[in-house]
Amino acid sequence: MVRFIFDLDGTLTTCETLPVISDHFALQEKIADLTRLTVQGNIPFIESFIRRVGVLGKCSVSQISDLLEKVPLHEKICAFIAENPEHCVIATGNLYCWVDKLVRRIGCQAFCSEAVVQEDSVTKISSILKKESLVTFYRDRGDTVVFIGDGNNDMEAMRLADVAIAAGLIHFPAHSILTVADYAVYDEGALCRLLGQLL
Amino acid sequence: MPFARSVIISCAGIGSRLGLGTTKALIEINGKTLIRWQLEQFCDVEDVRVVVGFQAQDVIDEVLSYRKDVIFVYNHNYFETKTGASYYLGARHGNEYAFEYDGDLLVHPDDIKMLLETEGEWIAYSDKMSDDAVYVRLNGRGEVTAFSKELGGFEWTGPCCIQKNKLKYLSGNVYNQLEPYLPMRGIKIRACDIDTYDDYQRALVWTKENFAGTWK
Repeated sequence: MVRFIFDLDGTLTTCETLPVISDHFALQEKIADLTRLTVQGNIPFIESFIRRVGVLGKCSVSQISDLLEKVPLHEKICAFIAENPEHCVIATGNLYCWVDKLVRRIGCQAFCSEAVVQEDSVTKISSILKKESLVTFYRDRGDTVVFIGDGNNDMEAMRLADVAIAAGLIHFPAHSILTVADYAVYDEGALCRLLGQLL
Repeated sequence: MPFARSVIISCAGIGSRLGLGTTKALIEINGKTLIRWQLEQFCDVEDVRVVVGFQAQDVIDEVLSYRKDVIFVYNHNYFETKTGASYYLGARHGNEYAFEYDGDLLVHPDDIKMLLETEGEWIAYSDKMSDDAVYVRLNGRGEVTAFSKELGGFEWTGPCCIQKNKLKYLSGNVYNQLEPYLPMRGIKIRACDIDTYDDYQRALVWTKENFAGTWK
């Protein structure tokens, strides 16, 4: 069985979600610095994620969930997922408590990082999704895994996938993933065409 | 059911024989890059796949300046492999028929139109033009029966079209992919292959003579 694993931010959404949260709560500067250092490779992704959750975790979980539910999506890709939900899963390092309503809109299974929530705030990260583990899980089941992503944190999953697609839909894919990608696409229609050919 | 075909343009090589210090896709021919000339020929084809390797990002940037919906295929082993590997990689997840077009080739626009209207499998060849040619041998029915480095009447230039499931990963040339399936239908075209600097000089003249007023 062909299994499509989609990154969420920038691949299924038409914008990155953490800036949406930080803008709403006026925490842009703190998050922007961390994002810049992460993109430059000066902070590993996991450390950056923990630090970003440290900043944003004090914000209302229910407000964030409502906010992200409204984030615009790549409609053609979501239509592909809606037609083939048994083949598709989402893999995001984002916290499930923040993106739960968003991923329900997309309508396929989602794997996320998890957190302990008390009194509408994140008190502790309980697990951080390693996307590469998900690739290994499905490959061990005998699936042919196609991974679609755009960021540095997708690199290891893309290296292990049977087919790796670098998506440059809202910005150029991270250079690191282009060293392991089988394909690069810069247009939603082209990505959907390729997904259909791989099915 | 419509004829399901992908066009694969192989642009992964380093262009070492040409000596202009750039991959051939980016050389300029009378005001346009070679890849731009090629993309204009395939403007009505839905599934265009460009195989990239050397200077991949520069080729991608150039392609995207003209057309966004191209699928880029990576040949990371471009230094160790030739166009046969790029053909396989470009075709492997594409449509049933794989139309191969070398990144160093220019074909007369009338002939490209004719080839795009031709269904099934075929091999295109031309009169000898380039310095470092591989030749085709034909039988009485006009079918290609062999490829040869020895002097012959017609030059193997490509393009070609074959079912994708006949291709396999190999380090050689496109014609090595086709050899197990000979004889195949041969089609004579007017084409200009750019391997060496002299070929490049000829291409500058050839495009002016053959494409004046024809292409955008």
